[in-house]
Amino acid sequence: MAMHKKISRREFIRLAGLTAAGTALAACAPTAAPTEAPAAPAATEAPAAITQAPAVSKPTEILHWSWLAASDGEVWKQMIDSFNEAHKDKNISIKMEVIPEEQFVPKVVGAAATGQAPDFGWGTAGLRAKMIKDGVVVPQDDYASKVGLDLTDFTDSSLKASRYPSFGNKLYMTPMDAMSLQMQVNLDHVKEAGLDATKPPTTAEELMTWAKAMTKMDGDKVVRSGIMMTGSGVQPTVTWGIVARQMGFLRASDDLKQAAINPEAGKKAMQWVLDLFDTHKVSTRDVTDRYKAFGTGEGSMFWTGPWTLNGYIEQGLNFMTVFFPNVGGELHTYFELGGLEMYTQKDPGRYEATMYALKWLSDNCFLWTTKGRGAAVRKSVLAQPDYKTAGSPWEVRGAFVEGMSFATEGEIPVLEAPNFTIYSGGNFLAKTLETVWVGEKTIDQAMDEIQKQWQSDLDKG
Amino acid sequence: MNISTGFKNTLRRGNMKSRDLPIWILGLFIAILWILPFVWMVSTSFKPAKEVMTKEIEWFPRHVVLDNYKKVFEYPVARWAWNSLVVATVSTTLGVLFGAMAGYALARLNFPGKNVFFAVLIASLMIPTEMTIIPMYVGFLKVGLSNSYISLILPTIANVFSVYIFRQFFMGLPVELEDAATIDGASRFGIFWRIAMPLARSPLIAASILLFTLNWNSFLWPLLIIFEDKMKTMPVGIAAFTPVVGTHTQLEGFGIAMAGITLLSLPGLLIFFIFQRFFIEGISRTGIKG
Amino acid sequence: MNTPATLPFWQRTRLRMRKATWNYQRIDWSGYVFILPFFIPFLTFTVVAIIFGSYIAFNDWGIMGAPQFVGLANFKEAFTDEWVVKAFTNILRYGLIIVPGVTVLGLIFAVYVNKRWYFSGFVRAAFYSPNVVSATVIGLVWVWILDTQFGLLNKYLNMIGIPNIPWLTSTQWSLIGVSIASIWWDLGFSFVLFLAALQEIPRELQEAAEIDGASGMQSFWYVSLPILRPTISMIVTLQLIATMRIFSQVYMMTNGGPAGSSDSVIHYIYQTAIVRFRLGYAAAVSLMLFVVILIVTFIQQRLIRESVQ
Repeated sequence: MAMHKKISRREFIRLAGLTAAGTALAACAPTAAPTEAPAAPAATEAPAAITQAPAVSKPTEILHWSWLAASDGEVWKQMIDSFNEAHKDKNISIKMEVIPEEQFVPKVVGAAATGQAPDFGWGTAGLRAKMIKDGVVVPQDDYASKVGLDLTDFTDSSLKASRYPSFGNKLYMTPMDAMSLQMQVNLDHVKEAGLDATKPPTTAEELMTWAKAMTKMDGDKVVRSGIMMTGSGVQPTVTWGIVARQMGFLRASDDLKQAAINPEAGKKAMQWVLDLFDTHKVSTRDVTDRYKAFGTGEGSMFWTGPWTLNGYIEQGLNFMTVFFPNVGGELHTYFELGGLEMYTQKDPGRYEATMYALKWLSDNCFLWTTKGRGAAVRKSVLAQPDYKTAGSPWEVRGAFVEGMSFATEGEIPVLEAPNFTIYSGGNFLAKTLETVWVGEKTIDQAMDEIQKQWQSDLDKG
Repeated sequence: MNISTGFKNTLRRGNMKSRDLPIWILGLFIAILWILPFVWMVSTSFKPAKEVMTKEIEWFPRHVVLDNYKKVFEYPVARWAWNSLVVATVSTTLGVLFGAMAGYALARLNFPGKNVFFAVLIASLMIPTEMTIIPMYVGFLKVGLSNSYISLILPTIANVFSVYIFRQFFMGLPVELEDAATIDGASRFGIFWRIAMPLARSPLIAASILLFTLNWNSFLWPLLIIFEDKMKTMPVGIAAFTPVVGTHTQLEGFGIAMAGITLLSLPGLLIFFIFQRFFIEGISRTGIKG
Repeated sequence: MNTPATLPFWQRTRLRMRKATWNYQRIDWSGYVFILPFFIPFLTFTVVAIIFGSYIAFNDWGIMGAPQFVGLANFKEAFTDEWVVKAFTNILRYGLIIVPGVTVLGLIFAVYVNKRWYFSGFVRAAFYSPNVVSATVIGLVWVWILDTQFGLLNKYLNMIGIPNIPWLTSTQWSLIGVSIASIWWDLGFSFVLFLAALQEIPRELQEAAEIDGASGMQSFWYVSLPILRPTISMIVTLQLIATMRIFSQVYMMTNGGPAGSSDSVIHYIYQTAIVRFRLGYAAAVSLMLFVVILIVTFIQQRLIRESVQ
């Protein structure tokens, strides 16, 4: 009996150990984290249903995957809800699932590979070349005309961006809204610094004056940035991209054959970003979350897009939006076109119903383009008298809409488009630039690498 | 009895000597520091949005509100918790059972290849599972098994730790008990089920806790294979509230995220606190000098 | 001669099976049945997946479309990819910080709790509890604690005169920041193991040493520690393997940055496979990781064995 107890004691210890061991080992096993918050249901506004639904005999549930997760996601959910509300008795509805942005493409492609792709989802113009090549995204021209989508009502630039010249110039996306990167300014800081809010900076010098006036230092360190920046990730990358273009740098020639035109301008732009941290000391590298930082007043001027509007408005932040200043010489800024794309289905009979839904959503995009996110791409909507007064206040929304006129830096529509996009924190461009921001590589080295990689990407087509 | 004796008695009852006092206090201090993250987590979950990011650390909410939890529950949290419960329970039961059988066989039964088999098991621990996750994902998709309880449970039922735990335990059992039964003509399985298993309370508990916690917190696989909101497990569902630093965070998300992860941690902590007693019982029981 | 040729085939086979031996003992054929329910899923989901994954390592594949054989190209690329090199260096550094941290602290805490002083139950629960929570907690709570301006840690460091350390935003500190959170998370494991092992040591041993004049420290060092050696060895091995596979903390806290200074191999693999769609390349790096883990574990086992001598 004593023998028995002794054994179990020893064994017990080993077991206790093993439990813990197992937990530890397994705990370090893959556990990933996805991303952002999904939409929370809010009050529904029901825009008028303009056309009639297609004749669907059996109940059709259109499956939609969205990756919108900031405050824009909430408004988008309202749009879907209003579609379902308007079509209650018509046997057609949309079921929306929110997929983490980072996994969106792999999941869609994976689902498509096994014939289970959703019917439609959010796309970004210019980034889908690979998916088109693999047959995941289907062209919409034929279906658009079938359901009577009025293509003439769309702005030319939006349609152009939604076509892919290397794939028969077909329309692969129904454009929904156009976004440009502009400058949000914290009005409380402006007042504090004694600056004139009606005369925002439009040149590099004016920008620096404002930035220096609003920066707060603690000894040698910046504790409140005049220009909201992070030490790595999207913010410095997109800033570089825009400033470089303004200084005359081109990521690719118009015929998409040559990469990195005028690299000296690109290098100048890199230096300009570095100077923000080290020379002018108007920014600090120690910010981890730029959205939160701007919201809590850690920065005064923030270059961002309209998807942040809802959140800051709800929060009660006192800010305005003005045009991105002309830092380099030519006024340009980043441009992103969002829209809805259709995915390949096993049953081609579904396409028409899906296209109908897309048409309805586009026809009724007033809510989306006044409160949700970017500027409308439907001329009729832009012309509506209350376009400027409805939704988010024009002081914070106007610049994003009017600034579209000089928002030229979009995506490079090649197979390796993701390597070229300036709005990214983790792609090749961002990672290479990061090494410059932290001082591991020289500007010349980085520019060299970028040029080489981009050239080989362009050669792929 | 004066104070000094009373004091000394108190010390002795706590196994302490007076020179141990400073270390004792230090230890308590560190332990409290250790759980501070939890304290902050729970405390923030009760703060209204505007008071979440304050310049000075506030350990206790100025106003205790339930808004964050209300917002969390606007989502099918109960459904997610149910999914997690179903999957974790079935996984654990099967994993423990199969592990016990395999562990017993490795410990007690004699058959060619058993050592090779064991070596393969151990080696598999060193292989990064990430290597297997994509092929599995594609495989499951091709067979059409995505987005279901089955797809969540299947990959988890073969658990190496479970086998290891039971093998070690059974190797430590005295053989005589089983020999007696063999002589009486019991089948191998009968011996396993009727004699070995009832004795295996410790490994059963250990393996069950281990597998359940593992399954409950399992993340990447459910994230990949589940497409529908109502089929999500709790960690995946709650993660939707947690803005990953640097992407799309807006202030009010934080309080809600804290509420979400407080809820998520509850089952794990509860189970631990409940079963902790069994662990202690076991340990203290065997501490009795036989 | 024991199996008369006159018996029917099946009976003969059964007889032969019953008498078959292995290791000088009768074979228990039922053993195969016992391991079957474990083995089939194991084979399918682990073994086959690994073999398939290894095969993919020699291919170029992006989910859609068929894999294309490229031989050793992936491996060649990995050796010259600076991000891969960084990731591998990083996991070794993680190992050097986290393994001793978890082992030493775990042991100290276990000794403390083992004394069974007042509130030892609370302390035991406190040190083990981080181990049962999921990675999202680490990501959210610790990111806040380590925030450069608002974080708890810096606030308290300020109080004793240390300026703000950019835990997660500088290339020098990011790895350390992630390591701190990891130690908090993983310590419960070594702690509970040590506790169990310590409780195995009869009190009399230590008390006898103390009566003989040894101080508390000495009795611990010369009496308890040698007994704990196998436990220490096991903990170091397991924790080392686990640390080299670190992923969730990296993902949730820094996403590998800035500039890959806190990146781990598994995190890099995840990015390559899921975000950049290069499954072949990811599989190749996975294989490399497996080999590295084997080698490092082997070296570490050798070192421990030699230190005993």
